[in-house]
Amino acid sequence: MKKTGLLILLIIITNQIFGYSILNRFSGDLAENIDARTAAMGGAGVAEGSLLFSAKLNPASLGFLDFNFGGQFAAGIMKNDDNRSLPMYNFFDGYIDDATYVSNVNYFDHYAVAVYYAHDLNDFKLSGSLSYAPYKNFDCYYVEEVRNDEGSDYDNYPPLIAKNYIDGSGAINSMSLTAAVTYLSRVALGFEIAKLTGDQTLSEKILWSDYANNTVNGLIDTKERTTRDFDEMRFKLGLNGRLNPRLQLGFSFTPKIEFDQKAKFSNNDTTYTYESIITTASNWRFGVSYQPRNIMRTSFNVDIEVVNWSDVNDLYDTGINYYVGVEHSLKNKMPLRFGFRYNVDYRTLNEEDFIYSDKIISPTFSVGTGFVFMEKFQIDISGAYTYRKYEALDLFMDSHYNYSQLWNEIEPADRGWENPDQVSESFFNVITSISYKW
Amino acid sequence: MRKFLFSMILLMLFALSGAQELLDLNKATLEELKQLPIQEEKAESIYEFRYYIKFFDSIYELRDIPGITQNDLNIIKPLVMVSHISKTDEYALRREQTSYLIERLGSNEGFQEGISDIWEDYLVTPRNINKLTFSDVLNMPNTSPLDAAAVLERISFGDSISSYSDLRQTEGISYYGASNLQHYVYYLGQEIDRKLFFNYQMKYDDNPYEEATDLMYKESMINLHAIENSGLNSNSETPRIKKQSYWGYFQMEDYSPSIMNKVRLRYGNIWSAGLLQYNRKGEKPLLFFDDADNKNYLKDLKYYANYEREVFGNDHLSIVVGNFRATFGEGLVMENTDFYNARKTGYGFSKRITGIAEDLSRTQEYALLGAAVQWKNKSFNGSLFFSSDDKDAIVYDSNNDGVLDKNDYLLSYVTMSRRFTNEELEEAENFFQDYEKPGYENPYPINIAPRRDAFNEKLVGGHIEYSPIIGTHLGFTAYEAVYDREFVVDNSNDSLKYLLIKTLYEDGEPVNGNDAEAKWRIADSEIAALYSTKTAKYDNNFRRVIGFDWRTVLNNTSIQGEYAELTVDGKEYKLGDDPKALILSTYTQFENLYLITLYRDYDLDYDNPYSRGFSEHEKFDDTVLDRYAYTLNNPLIADVYINSAQAQAEKGIYIETRYRFNKHLTINRSYLDIWERKSDSRKSVRFQGELDYRPIYALSMRLKYKHQQNRYDDDADRSLSKTNETTGKIVVNLSNFDRISLEYRYTKVWFPPYTYLTNDPEVGGNTIAQAQSLLNADYICVDYTHNFNKNLKVQGSFIYWNGHGASHWDWEDMEIDFLGEKGNKLWLALNTKISDNLYLTLKYRVKHYKTREYEWRAWWNDVGELGDLNYLDRVEKTEHSFRLHLDLRL
Repeated sequence: MKKTGLLILLIIITNQIFGYSILNRFSGDLAENIDARTAAMGGAGVAEGSLLFSAKLNPASLGFLDFNFGGQFAAGIMKNDDNRSLPMYNFFDGYIDDATYVSNVNYFDHYAVAVYYAHDLNDFKLSGSLSYAPYKNFDCYYVEEVRNDEGSDYDNYPPLIAKNYIDGSGAINSMSLTAAVTYLSRVALGFEIAKLTGDQTLSEKILWSDYANNTVNGLIDTKERTTRDFDEMRFKLGLNGRLNPRLQLGFSFTPKIEFDQKAKFSNNDTTYTYESIITTASNWRFGVSYQPRNIMRTSFNVDIEVVNWSDVNDLYDTGINYYVGVEHSLKNKMPLRFGFRYNVDYRTLNEEDFIYSDKIISPTFSVGTGFVFMEKFQIDISGAYTYRKYEALDLFMDSHYNYSQLWNEIEPADRGWENPDQVSESFFNVITSISYKW
Repeated sequence: MRKFLFSMILLMLFALSGAQELLDLNKATLEELKQLPIQEEKAESIYEFRYYIKFFDSIYELRDIPGITQNDLNIIKPLVMVSHISKTDEYALRREQTSYLIERLGSNEGFQEGISDIWEDYLVTPRNINKLTFSDVLNMPNTSPLDAAAVLERISFGDSISSYSDLRQTEGISYYGASNLQHYVYYLGQEIDRKLFFNYQMKYDDNPYEEATDLMYKESMINLHAIENSGLNSNSETPRIKKQSYWGYFQMEDYSPSIMNKVRLRYGNIWSAGLLQYNRKGEKPLLFFDDADNKNYLKDLKYYANYEREVFGNDHLSIVVGNFRATFGEGLVMENTDFYNARKTGYGFSKRITGIAEDLSRTQEYALLGAAVQWKNKSFNGSLFFSSDDKDAIVYDSNNDGVLDKNDYLLSYVTMSRRFTNEELEEAENFFQDYEKPGYENPYPINIAPRRDAFNEKLVGGHIEYSPIIGTHLGFTAYEAVYDREFVVDNSNDSLKYLLIKTLYEDGEPVNGNDAEAKWRIADSEIAALYSTKTAKYDNNFRRVIGFDWRTVLNNTSIQGEYAELTVDGKEYKLGDDPKALILSTYTQFENLYLITLYRDYDLDYDNPYSRGFSEHEKFDDTVLDRYAYTLNNPLIADVYINSAQAQAEKGIYIETRYRFNKHLTINRSYLDIWERKSDSRKSVRFQGELDYRPIYALSMRLKYKHQQNRYDDDADRSLSKTNETTGKIVVNLSNFDRISLEYRYTKVWFPPYTYLTNDPEVGGNTIAQAQSLLNADYICVDYTHNFNKNLKVQGSFIYWNGHGASHWDWEDMEIDFLGEKGNKLWLALNTKISDNLYLTLKYRVKHYKTREYEWRAWWNDVGELGDLNYLDRVEKTEHSFRLHLDLRL
C-alpha cells in the first residue's frame, strides 16, 4: 500500500508553539516555551523575564535577571484531546453537525535544565547560560477501530474489522549557549547558539482483527515505519531596553531553520530513503512590559509576533500572533498570573489539482502562580488551555477495508476533501519549574 | 467632635513644623533611603513599594513591605515622616471614584450600543448642571422627565445648584434621579480644566453563532431528490457533501473571531473624534485583508468628528461629521440602531438618548454617514441631518432572468450575521446552482439573496421642538430617504411566496401546488406589507416619514407620545390617510413607586426601517422567515428576521411598576402587557412580577413569576399556547462586595403541535405525529463574585439546565446566552485594573449541551434510501469561547 507515500506528498506543515498533535506528526511540534511564568502570562514575555528560561523567548532577558548565579529545572505535561468527526445530515439532507467517531486522549511530557552565571564589569554586566531543552517534539499516538455495521440497528456491538495505529516518538533537543551583555542596567543585547539534534520514528499500522482474518482469506497487516535524524544549528538574537523603571521594550529575531535530511521508509514490501525537509519559519517578536503603580505589584506584558510563513510556503500569508499577560502579586505575595494568546498557523491542502493554504486559529487562556521557599528557591506553575478546529483527510482511507464479506450493505469508499474529517483538538499544558537564585 | 478635629489639626501642624529634619518617605530618593539605618535591600524594598504599589499614607504601612520587621520600623520611625500625596491626574481619580458606574455602563453595552461611551465621557468630564436643557438632564442615565422638570424649574427661578446636597433639596426630584445625576454633573465653581483625552478599546470575542444563525448557515442548498427526479444519475456514487450549505461552502468552522478596535479622542466637552473598526465573526480581521478587500474594509470603518459649543449665552450648538446617531421622540420616526430591544419604554434602563450624537457603535446597516447639526436652548431644540451611505439589502430576481443584477428589485434592508462580499455570495450561488453536475438545472434556482451595499440611501431629516413651558414640548420630525434602486414587494398572483419559498420551476415558471402553497401562512402578511417605492398606484424613488411628538409634565406625572406616518399614496400633508403608528405613555413618580402605562398601535404597513418603537417582538417574528427557514429559497434571507431591529406591528396596553414598601420588601420591576399582533390578529397577554424580600441588607430572597398566553379568536386554529415560569433566587452579599447567588427556575410550556413538526415537508405528507405539547424545563445557577481587592475581581457561574424542548436565556456578566435543550455551562471572568489608565477583562466559557433528537443519514448511505436513516438519540456538543477586552484611557 502506498498510502503513507501519498500522505507525505500531502504533507501538512505547521508551526505550533504547543505540541503533541497528530496534525504535526511529520513536522514536529515546537516545545520551546518552558518558562512557567511567561506561559502563565499567555506566553507574553519578550520584553521582560525574571526566570532563566525566559531567555528562550529573548536571549537579552538574561541581562536583566536580578541574580548572578542560578539554575532552573522545568518539567511539563501536555494533555492532547483529539476528536475526529463526520458531517451529519438531518432528515431533510441538511447539514446539522458533526458526529465524533474517534476520540484519543494522550499525555506527553518534557523536561529542561539550565545553569546561569553573570559577572559585573564596571558599567557592563556579562551574563551567560547553558541549557538543555526540548525544541521540537514528535510524540503522538492515535488509535482507531474499524467496525462494520452489522446488528447496529438492534443495539448490538458490531464486530471489529481492524485496528489502526499511528505512533510517533522522538524529539529534537537543543543544547544552547546563551549570552547577554547589559549596559548600565538600561539596555541588553543577547544571542543564543543552539545545537539542535534528535531523531524521529513514525510508524503506522493497520492490524486486521481475528474476525476479519477468519472471514476473508489472505489479509495482510500493514506496517509502515519512517525514521529520521536531525542535526542543525540555530541562532537567535535579542534586544531588551528599559526606558524607565516602569517600561521595558524587547525584541527578538529567530531566522528560519531548514532541517534537511534523508528519511528512511520501510513497509511490508520495501525499504527506501527519500529527501525530507522540515522548515521552521523565521519570526520577529516585539514586546512591551509595563509596571504601573497598583495596590498589587503588577506587570503587564504584550507581545506581537510576526511569523514569515512564506519561508515555508509561498501560499502562506504572514502570520501575526498576539500575546497578552498580567502578573499581580496578591496580598500574601503570591503572584497570580493570567493571559491570553491568539495564534495563527497555516497548512496546505490539496484538493484534486488545486493546492491552497488554510489558516488555523488557536486561542489560549492561561493561569499560573508561584512561591518562594528557603529564600533562594522558587517554584512556578502554569496551566494553559488551547482549542482549535480544522478539517483533515481521513487518516486511514476506507477503501482499504472494502471486502464485501466484511460488510452487509455498504461499500466503503475513500473520502476526499469533499467530505473530510472535522477535527476538534484541545490541549491542556501544565509547566512547573524550580529555580535557584543566588 | 470639634475638639477632636482641633486637636488633630494641632497635631498635624506640630508634625509639619518638626518634619524638616525627617526624611519624607513619599519623596525621598533611593540614595536617601539607603542612608537610613537599615539594610540596603530593605531601603530598595521601601523605594519599590512606593514606586510600584502605592504612596505611603502612614509610617505603619512600612510593615506591609516584605522583609521590614517591627524592629526595623522602630528604628526608622523617629527618622521618617509621610507627607500627603494627592493624585496628580484628577481625571484618573474621578475614573476611580466612578469606576463602579463605568463598569455598569460597560455591562449594558449590548443594550445601549455606543451610548455608554457618551455617559462615560460625562462621568470623567461632567457637565454644568446649571446650564443643562431639559433634554440634557433627561438624557442622563436613570433620570425621569419629572426629575428634569424639577431641575429646570428651579434654575428658571434664578436659583442655582451648588452641590449634591443642594440638588437633593430640589423640589420634585426623586432620590434615584438625584443620586444618578450627581456623577454626571458639576455644580457652581467646580469646572474641570479642559484636557485632551485618549481612549482605545479592543474587544476579541469568539462566541459561537446562536442557534437560528447556525441553522440558517447549515441549511442544505441542493435538493438531491429533485436531481434524481430530473433523471440524472446523481447520487448513487456521490455522498452528500457538507459544501452544499453556506456553512460548508465557506468552511465556517474555521472561524475568525469578532474583533473590534475603537479609538476616541476628546478635548474637554468641545471637540471629539473617533474611529471604529469592527469585523463580525467569520469576517477577515483588518490585518489579514488583501488588496481586493481594501475597498470594503475602508468603507466599513466608522468615524466621526464632533464639535460642541455654547453660543449666544446658553444656546448649545453641536455639529457631527461622519457617523452620527439620530433619535427623536419615542423612536417611531427615527432611531438608527441595528439592535432590537423588547419593551423599550424609554424610561429607566431602556432609555433613549434623544437628539444628535456621535456614533461609534457596532451599528452598520442603519448607520448614518454624513453631517448633522443640532441647536438647542431652554425652549427650542432643532436638528438637521444628511446621510449618504450604501446599504445591504435582499435583492430578488424581478425580471425572472435567472440572474440577480442591478436591475432587480429590493425586498428589504437586511443586517447580515456575517457580511459576505458580493463576489463570495455569487460564487456560492453558482456552486449551489450548478452543483458540479454538467447539464443539471437546479429546479430550485436561487432567485433571492442578500447583497452587500446593494443600494445607496441618501437621507435628509430634521427635528424641531418648541417648549413653551418647562416640561412641555411639541416636536415635529421628518425624514426622506432617496434610493437608487426600487423597493418592490410584488404580491400579484402570489409571486412573492414563490420568491421566498423553495419552489419547483419548470420553464422558468413556478409550478403551482408546490411547497410554496403549503407553507404560506397568514402571519406572512407582514412580509407582503413591506413598503414598495413602486406599485400600480404610484412610482416613487423615496420613503418619507413624518411624525409629531409631545410631552407635558403635570405634578408628578409626565404624559408623552408620538404619532408617525409613512407617506404612501395619501395626500402628503393630510394626516390619517397613510400607514401610521402611535405611542401614548404616562409616567407617574412617587418616592417609592413609579407607574408606567403605555399604549401603542402600529399599522401593519407602517414599514419604517428606522422605527424602534416599543414592542414585544421584533418585526417578522413568527413569519416564514422565523419558523420555516428550511423552506426558504435561500436560507440567508432569514437574517431579515434574525437581526431585525424594527418593532412588530402591534396594538396593546402595557403597564409597569416598581414599589418599595419598606427596606425589607420591594416589588421589583413588574409589568402586564395585553396586545394584539396586527399581521394575524393573534391575541397575547404577558405578565411578569418579582418580589424581593430582604430581611437583612446582606440577604435578598427573590421570587419571580412570568406568564404568557397567545391565542387566536378562531377556535379552529390550534394555536393556544401558555408559558409559566417561576424563579426563586437567593443573593448573599458578602464583605468586600463579594457576592454569591443561587437561582432555580421552573418553566412549563403548553403548546399545540406546530405544523412543521407534524407534517412531512413534502406536499400531502402528513405522516408523523411526534410533537410534544407540554414541556417542563429546569434551570439552576450558582454565581459567585470575588474581589481580591478593588483592582482585581473574579466572577464565575455554573449552570445546569434541562429544557425538554423549551429554552432558557442566561444573562452572563456582559452578554446574553441562549440555552436550548439540556446541558451545563461554566464561565469565568477576570476583571483587572492594571493601572489607573488600563483595564483588562478576560473571560472563558465552556458549554456542554445536547441538542434535540435527530434522525440522520450517515454519509455513505444513498440519499434515496431513506430507510437507511440512522437514529441518533441526542447530539452532544461542547463549545469553548474566549473574550478579551482591553481599555486604555489617557
